Amino acid sequence: MNKFRESGWHFLLIVICLTLLLPVLFMISNSFKTLQDSYHSMLQLIPTHPTFSNYLTLDKQINLFRIVWNTFFMATIVTLGKIITGLLAAYAFKYFSFKGKKFFYFAFISTIFVPFTVVMIPNFLVISKLNLLNTALGVALPQLCDATGIMLFLKAMDKIPNSLIESVRIDDIPSYKILKDIVVPILRPNIISIGAIFFINSWNEYVWPTLILKDKNSFTLPLALQNYISSEGGTNFPLAMALSTIMIIVPLLIYLIFQRYILNSISSSGLK
Amino acid sequence: MNNRNKKNKTLTIAYLFPTALILLVFIIAPIIYTFYLSFFNWNLIAPTKDFVGLENYFSIFTDPVNRKILLNTVFYILLLLFLNFLVPYFISIIVKFFISKMQTAYKIIFFIPSLFSLVVGAMLFSWIMNPVSGPVAFFMRGLGLTLPNWTNSGAMAVVVICLITNWKVFGYNFVLLLTGLGSVPQNIIDATKMDSIPKWRMIWDIVLPLNKSIAFYVLILTIVQGLQYVFTPISVITQGGPYYGSSNALYHTYLNAFVLYKTGNASALAIVTFVIFLVLLYLEIKFVEGRTNRYE
Repeated sequence: MNKFRESGWHFLLIVICLTLLLPVLFMISNSFKTLQDSYHSMLQLIPTHPTFSNYLTLDKQINLFRIVWNTFFMATIVTLGKIITGLLAAYAFKYFSFKGKKFFYFAFISTIFVPFTVVMIPNFLVISKLNLLNTALGVALPQLCDATGIMLFLKAMDKIPNSLIESVRIDDIPSYKILKDIVVPILRPNIISIGAIFFINSWNEYVWPTLILKDKNSFTLPLALQNYISSEGGTNFPLAMALSTIMIIVPLLIYLIFQRYILNSISSSGLK
Repeated sequence: MNNRNKKNKTLTIAYLFPTALILLVFIIAPIIYTFYLSFFNWNLIAPTKDFVGLENYFSIFTDPVNRKILLNTVFYILLLLFLNFLVPYFISIIVKFFISKMQTAYKIIFFIPSLFSLVVGAMLFSWIMNPVSGPVAFFMRGLGLTLPNWTNSGAMAVVVICLITNWKVFGYNFVLLLTGLGSVPQNIIDATKMDSIPKWRMIWDIVLPLNKSIAFYVLILTIVQGLQYVFTPISVITQGGPYYGSSNALYHTYLNAFVLYKTGNASALAIVTFVIFLVLLYLEIKFVEGRTNRYE
């Protein structure tokens, strides 16, 4: 009886898995079909006449290498920036006592609740005044710190025994050395997983880059893909799917390697 | 000792400085400037701005397009709460209490779409739901039905757009909620088993109240993040149309600012959105006590 009911639940859960994943599998498979094949045998997972033609067309129409590099470069700056500022801020909150600590922490964390629309006009004006339109730095600059990151680093620091830090502080070892030689090595798995989350989010980012990157040479992958989707219908889906497939490889690889750490970090972001 | 205190103080400032600087320049100052802009009519370029007082705020509640946008925003919130909060919550309860194996496998698989860009999601759904060449239309033709052109209907477009974000955040919210359920003490659950209390009762009376704080966190996140997430599929697929039917407060702000160059209207709408989010933040602090009060 109970076994029977449990199979029912598994059935439901497997249906959910398929609903979430099948679109992606069809996307990959259709990216290897010609436009005609993709229309006549759209639900055939293994293409009968697999072809690279869509990828070759993409390579002719856009500067793929440049676009992938732009995306990678921008995501790397954002990730490094968020890790460095986040570790420094978290260290200060964890190990220094100072006036207004509670206020500052609250102010930092509250930024999660600031909608991007309330900052986008002034930020756009600042970035264009700084002559940073169409540059990766223009996209990255306003995002070099991250409240969720500070929160996650702080939680990770909880696992370092206080006595350890206290004992080295008494020896008057400068705090940047403590951070570099003790905290960072202990937190390495956390830093990697939090960094992986930052990188994936930045890799996929769309809204802010569309305001800053107007020149096709400065496009990142999401912007290039957006150009292949027509709102009037008439999208060449195999072509758009080929570009999407290129786009998902990097996040998928990162997830394959760091899956356990990433899920742990996401979990801990919800806990007190 | 005094010397050390002084040193500590400079260090604290040095460590917080990068974050504080970016926060000040790119979040706090912009909020103030947007508030200032909301009292003027401006087009983002002209050298002068016309002071119009509260006119931009009045127009949010009197202009029929703006009223439609606000109504749409409420529709979005309700749909997002159902799809991105209630459904994952229900599924996380099933996975936690009603099955005995494969929990981790489900967690790993459900999370996969959250790795992908919403632009990919928007492309996929515009293929799946394409009225001419998509698989759904294909199946419906087999049954003698036709798939209506959903981009011509505001309500249907909103539903599809919410489904796209659901595809992306379902696994993410599921993982958060499942973690919350995992922190309910096992001995309480065991005790109810001994007393042979039915499972649904145990969940309703014990687990849900104990899990209240994380659930509320995900609920607020669903609204705050969800309204920003739907921006991407709106922008890629419908551009807010047909006739503002699938637009919401955030997309309309963008449209006013960067397409119509009505900076004042955009700023006023942004400030109203911000105030609503602040109310949600306040509720979060009240309900999820301890989360942000780490240093009390």
